[in-house]
Amino acid sequence: MHAVRNIRLCTKDCLCLYVCPTGATDTETGQIDASKCLSGCRACVDACPSHAISLIPAEFPPQQEKTVSVKNALLTLAASKMDQEEIASKLAETTGNPVLRQLAEALGKSNRLMAEDMLRESGYMLPQSRTVGELLESLLSEKQPADFPEAAVKRLLELVNGNTMQEGKASAFEKIDY
Amino acid sequence: MMRKFVCGICGFVYDESLGYPEGGIAPGLKWEDLPEDWICPLCGATKVEFKEQETVIPEEKKQSSLDEEHQEKIRELSFKELSALCSNLSKGCEKQYRNEEADLFRQLAEYYDSKSSAAFEAQISDLAALIEADLSSGYENANRRAAAVSDRGALRALTWGEKVTRILSSLLSRYEKQGETLLANTNVYVCEICGFVYIGDEAPEICPVCKVPNLKIAQIQRG
Repeated sequence: MHAVRNIRLCTKDCLCLYVCPTGATDTETGQIDASKCLSGCRACVDACPSHAISLIPAEFPPQQEKTVSVKNALLTLAASKMDQEEIASKLAETTGNPVLRQLAEALGKSNRLMAEDMLRESGYMLPQSRTVGELLESLLSEKQPADFPEAAVKRLLELVNGNTMQEGKASAFEKIDY
Repeated sequence: MMRKFVCGICGFVYDESLGYPEGGIAPGLKWEDLPEDWICPLCGATKVEFKEQETVIPEEKKQSSLDEEHQEKIRELSFKELSALCSNLSKGCEKQYRNEEADLFRQLAEYYDSKSSAAFEAQISDLAALIEADLSSGYENANRRAAAVSDRGALRALTWGEKVTRILSSLLSRYEKQGETLLANTNVYVCEICGFVYIGDEAPEICPVCKVPNLKIAQIQRG
């Protein structure tokens, strides 16, 4: 678990520099140096008057199980939203009318956001979720077109796969050291 | 007797006894005497989205056809859905300050976007038909299934999505009636969290659907 700073909230009070025992908060990047940050220390989190610092867990709780029934109903809606995004984008692209284009752009964006939310809740909440790892692996095992970004998928599997706690540990949240 | 009407999108209450003096509606004005093109001052919904407060009927619990649902297989994700899944995971990585992962998921999302673009002629009426299908059956079906297993996350997303879809439906019907005057001398905003679309001079303080502060509400420029 290490600390991160939300730059939008940070008001440069610099109390994190004052309390940090290792100097991890003293960087010129605006961000906290994770390699120096002591796991679970949270001195900077508690000291910050603007609540700009929070802790990111090293391991995340496992993805909640989703029933096939719920998943399919959400995916049906997501598919409809993405069809709507496609129609709206096409309208925005092809119309000569700037007012219709503006409306179509708003509709396209809105539909993408709704589709994303449906998909997130259909079992892909965190990038570290087992379901995401399985999806990425299945993409690699299938035959893909020549322009498929295989290197990106492989790199993602290295970076995010298997970062959730073991399935079946019902008390996953209790294991996070708040 | 004075009645109250509640906006089904954002929860704004029109109380007949109070009217809405800020919007030039005098206290005591009956709901049916409000102009037909009156819109919710908070979220822009039309009058049809309002329900009388006393007559809110508790949702009837429907028996789910579990046998049928148990035999279902998980739907395959289309390229477009894979694109939305990856663009959302990219945002998830940003929230964890994982920039490399965010870029990689964005790259995948763009790849699937490029694979799904087909040539066709886009019509507003096609959009309206999909919206009506979502509102008449899509959300009801999904809500029933999610409620049957108390899936709180799904129910939360469905609540936001249904409200936003109602707004889109009401926007399309307003555009159909008013044409370009709907957007004349005003601005268009989209909430970057739930997709709520707002037409007005200034973005609301907080999103009336998901309640995020307006630093997450983006203006859509014209031209």
